[in-house]
Amino acid sequence: MSRGKIIVAKLGLDGHTNGIRIVSKWLQDAGFEVVYMGLYNTPEKVIKAMLQEDADILGLSFLEGSHMYYAEKLRELAIRYGIEGRKIVFGGVIPPDDVEKLKALGISEVFLPGTSKEKIISTIRTLLGG
Amino acid sequence: MKSTFMTDYDHTVGEKLRHFRSISGIEYKRIYDETSWNKKLPDAGEYPYTRGIYKDMYRARLWTRRQQSGFGTPEESNELLKFLFKVGQTGINIDSDIAGKLGLDPDYPLARADVGLQGTSMCTYEDMLALFKDIPIEKISSTLIFPPPSSAVIMSQYLLMADERGIRVHDLSGTIMNCPFTQLVGPTFQANTAFFPIDLALKIGLDLIEYLLKTVPRWNVLNVNSRNIRECGVNAVQEAAFAISLGMDYVRRLLERGLDVDSFGPRIGFFCAVHLDIFEEVAKFRAMRRIWARVMKEMFKAKDERSMRFRCAVQTSSLTFTAQEPMNNIVRAAIQTLTAVLSGVQSVDTTCYDEAYCLPTEKAQKLAIRTQQIIAYETGVTKVVDPLGGSYFLETLTDEMEEKIWEAIKEIEKKGGFIECFKKGIIEQELNEARYKLANELENGDLAIVGVNIFRSEDSASDIELFEHSPDMQKKRIEYSVQYKKRPGRELTYKALKDLYLFTKRGGQGNFVIPIMEAVRSGATLQEICDAMREALDYQIPC
Repeated sequence: MSRGKIIVAKLGLDGHTNGIRIVSKWLQDAGFEVVYMGLYNTPEKVIKAMLQEDADILGLSFLEGSHMYYAEKLRELAIRYGIEGRKIVFGGVIPPDDVEKLKALGISEVFLPGTSKEKIISTIRTLLGG
Repeated sequence: MKSTFMTDYDHTVGEKLRHFRSISGIEYKRIYDETSWNKKLPDAGEYPYTRGIYKDMYRARLWTRRQQSGFGTPEESNELLKFLFKVGQTGINIDSDIAGKLGLDPDYPLARADVGLQGTSMCTYEDMLALFKDIPIEKISSTLIFPPPSSAVIMSQYLLMADERGIRVHDLSGTIMNCPFTQLVGPTFQANTAFFPIDLALKIGLDLIEYLLKTVPRWNVLNVNSRNIRECGVNAVQEAAFAISLGMDYVRRLLERGLDVDSFGPRIGFFCAVHLDIFEEVAKFRAMRRIWARVMKEMFKAKDERSMRFRCAVQTSSLTFTAQEPMNNIVRAAIQTLTAVLSGVQSVDTTCYDEAYCLPTEKAQKLAIRTQQIIAYETGVTKVVDPLGGSYFLETLTDEMEEKIWEAIKEIEKKGGFIECFKKGIIEQELNEARYKLANELENGDLAIVGVNIFRSEDSASDIELFEHSPDMQKKRIEYSVQYKKRPGRELTYKALKDLYLFTKRGGQGNFVIPIMEAVRSGATLQEICDAMREALDYQIPC
């Protein structure tokens, strides 16, 4: 089994990076290969990166409330590129009521504030099938 | 397997703290007495202002209640401002959405999903008029939360609005934040540099300062955002050191322009965080007052006492808020608000308990204002100046914080000052290290957070009512900005934009505010103005 390649990024104009920096470090320390794409990305850009890098998981972080908008965009793109099976996970400041809606749009997992390092890493391992 | 994340307490043997360090890592002693501190302090209002920058502090005038506000359309934000005044807000604090801060219009493709989310969407002069409709700006002070270059555009709009209403510039009071390094989400590199060249942003900020010094006598021209620095995860010592070093960099650059330190000193302010370690925070504010006073007097030779006074607005920390059991945040915010008042700050924004999820509801906003009013009128802490002053513990801690902050400032100075460190990525690196450290402390339980890593209930999901934007708000704003730019008869706009483009292209000799003001007057939008400058420098932005 590969050790798992994860692309992490923020979409749109949301510039808050406390969470994504910390989680990226945790994942790296846990042995995953992490590609940090930073801020100001479009959904097209991260999906293409996922294909080019042949990444196993795409991790996206939100703090402003644009998560539903982008989940819908990502859904459209996943269908267009025929990659609905690829795993996308969200994390950040997301109202709990939106979690089920996000999952219905194909988001595999949603990490809310206060999720422990252990929980994030074990969930990612499960998503990788190992 | 038992989770290592949770710290479990055995209720049968009594609860005990894990350590006695402050949030910033200072080891607290069992007790403090005259062997720790045995000095005399100058009166409040006297240099170096340890006990407060004014003699009578809140006995003369309470702090300003200035809740950060703004969401959705300017019209919606205008309604919110009116609501806040009705319940007792005393100053305006307008926050724009990120597009507004980055110099983008709502129709810019990358901006669309974020329009109006974190603050009000603003891009035209008419937006400014809508935002301040029926609000007496000649009586109420306004803080405008914009970094350059947007700060120059928004300030131009504000001044044109005042002029159109027949208000004299002498009657205007307020603050333009105007810092391109800290305003957005703290001093992270990519966030602040991707949409505008940082050197030009800094020049425009300084130009705006110079312009305002000459034309609007009571306006505060710069506010160093210490709070956003802190919210990136650094500790109190780093917050203070970063903010003061940056303040020093601004002073140097203004002096290089041939300005007298006492012409701008009294018009520079700070905006700080209030965290949860009560005594450490009070000590931080007292130490910051002392250091700034000494910097201005001894290093920069200020003569006017007003230049030496560390004037400071605060917002209670959002980083300390938890999504778990959000009602607990009411308690955290109240403690922090009390801490701010015990520190003698000039204005307070109490963060609303629901901001761990989204923008606050009116109910939460009202509660935040009530928190301040209860502290002001019911607790008695406002009746005495510097009520904690003379405490062995607080005074020892103030001295210790002062020393640590000075040490950290010297480190930054050795590396060329804050701005240089920002550009070299040194600040970015320090922020990231602080974030990892914070995360570790949370994981190992050294930093205890009730409801998260101690006393956590698994059924802690939010049961609070959350703010929701009106469903078509973004569409309306996007359509508005598209249509606005299609209006006929924009020849004068295009001419003003071309002038600004050429002004930039020729190296921007002179003050940028003049051609920016012309462009605003001619009906140019925020992004059109910023784009004219970007294009002149062939500056590519994310798209």
